[in-house]
Amino acid sequence: MPSTQQPPIAGAAIDPTSLRAPSLDDARVERVAPAHLRERLEQLKNDGFSMLLDLGAADYLQRVPRFDVIYHLLKMPMAPAPVTALSPQRLRVLCGVDGTSPHLPTVTDLWKSADWAEREVFDLFGIVFDGHPELRRIQMPRDWEGHPLRKDYPLRGPARERSPRPPFALKSNVAAGTPPSGQTLEALQEQVKRAAEGRSTS
Amino acid sequence: MTMTTPLTPEIVSHEGNSMVLSMGPQHPSTHGVLQLMLEIEGETVAKIDAEIGYLHTGIEKSAENLFWSQAQTVIERMDYLAPESNALCYVLACEKLLGITGEIPERANQIRVLFGELTRLASHCVWLGTHAIDIGAITVFFHCFDLRENILDLQEAAGGARMHPNYMRIGGVNGDLPAGFLDKLDALIEKFPKLMRDLRGLLQANPIFQDRTIDVGILPAEEAVRWSVTGPALRASGIAYDVRKAFPYCGYDQYTFDVPTRTEGDAYARFLVRLDEMEESMRIVAQVRKRLDVPGPVMTSNPKVAAPPKETIALSMEALIHHFKIVSEGFRVPPGDVYHAVESPRGELGYYIVSDGGNRPYRVRTRPPSLYNLQALRGIAPGNFIADLVVMIGSLDPVFGEVDR
Repeated sequence: MPSTQQPPIAGAAIDPTSLRAPSLDDARVERVAPAHLRERLEQLKNDGFSMLLDLGAADYLQRVPRFDVIYHLLKMPMAPAPVTALSPQRLRVLCGVDGTSPHLPTVTDLWKSADWAEREVFDLFGIVFDGHPELRRIQMPRDWEGHPLRKDYPLRGPARERSPRPPFALKSNVAAGTPPSGQTLEALQEQVKRAAEGRSTS
Repeated sequence: MTMTTPLTPEIVSHEGNSMVLSMGPQHPSTHGVLQLMLEIEGETVAKIDAEIGYLHTGIEKSAENLFWSQAQTVIERMDYLAPESNALCYVLACEKLLGITGEIPERANQIRVLFGELTRLASHCVWLGTHAIDIGAITVFFHCFDLRENILDLQEAAGGARMHPNYMRIGGVNGDLPAGFLDKLDALIEKFPKLMRDLRGLLQANPIFQDRTIDVGILPAEEAVRWSVTGPALRASGIAYDVRKAFPYCGYDQYTFDVPTRTEGDAYARFLVRLDEMEESMRIVAQVRKRLDVPGPVMTSNPKVAAPPKETIALSMEALIHHFKIVSEGFRVPPGDVYHAVESPRGELGYYIVSDGGNRPYRVRTRPPSLYNLQALRGIAPGNFIADLVVMIGSLDPVFGEVDR
């Protein structure tokens, strides 16, 4: 497997979502501005899109606005219904979010299930949902820094970019007093002393 | 951003009778990967909060850094009890992006349906076995794992591995079914009714089991929709939403099967729906079996995604180069975004995939059914006893590889 430490921002297509219209799947696609998001989603919910299937995000690093938050909606009755009475329909609402201070209004009051989904987007992308009752990290530990699913976040995490050979594996480090493994303290001190003498005489 | 204080064991309210109790991650019924923070009044749960993320392994991030075909190997590990469902959904989404959905051979689709259903059976076996153990019935577990072992044998025969066979491929499946496979499948179809009779006989009319599950964790249809619950849990509340019927894929519309539903919405209804589902799955498997006698190709011949047949590599320079390119560089997928969903054993499993035209996925977002089903616990648990929480978690059947990803 080719290990890529660089995030793969290869394609020239900065906004792949705009390229295939009509959509490839069975969903209708809409794009709304953040200012009209609440209004539109409320309207859709009243039109019968009563289930929020999923809430996710994507990071298009070089695009303005940088993020997309994606709402997958499903038309679903709120009461028991047999197969024949169902006419499910899917709808995808995309909303661009600015990269410098990503903010969106919450939809937890419309759909209860948005709670954990918004926390996850906040955790992994750093998008803040205003009005969310308890916006804190959900997947990563509480004291984690950074948002792992952003494209500028390295695959193995920050400060783990290279795995250099340990210092004691290098012969030149003996001079600096780094103990090679498997030796007693005295032998080490002796070795360090000899190395220091050798340096001063040469 | 308003922040409320999360429930932590240090906070003990001395007003009234309420106190905060941490359940898990060491509690046996949470299987080591879920922590529930409970505010309790006596034995009754007043408020519940869940800590997840114990199994978070960054699969979505890893997938962005692998070739399209390599990403499938990590994606299979999300729902480790039903790896074929995950793989199936991912390859179907990729095929839509590539525009080769119509080129998949008939036999490949049949094999996909076969394994989609077998994996559902195997997954429900683990659910039933562990659910019964959580409640106190130990014998069921052995019967369930006996049936599951038969299915894993089939998986191993076809894909080469018991748990994560990586058998589904973009463009078809990896190789035809091996010799002797259909005989084993026939034997399983034949002995299945007896196994099912045993399982039902052990639990369905068992008064202890009924006492523990009837009227426990009631989830009304309206609440289920608000919490985005899908799969057997939604159908036990009366809404017959099944992706296989609503948005058929892989030719599911050619098979006859029913969507079992109940209206009670309690843990016992979810148990009955899953048992009925196992029988429906076997009904589909038997129908697929009849069609599998006709041989045919199992992989698309589209040179864009499929490596040339092995025997041509020694004869043709172009085939050798082509094979080398596909293995070392992967294939490119035209830019665009797509959402595809399948009915996994736990509900609607969806993948939202974005391609930027490169040889690696740009973004792979999973719609994890377990995450949403587990979240509904916050709606149904308050007002119930602590002891019934074990039944409720079990009846929602979350798989934490998928909740945490």
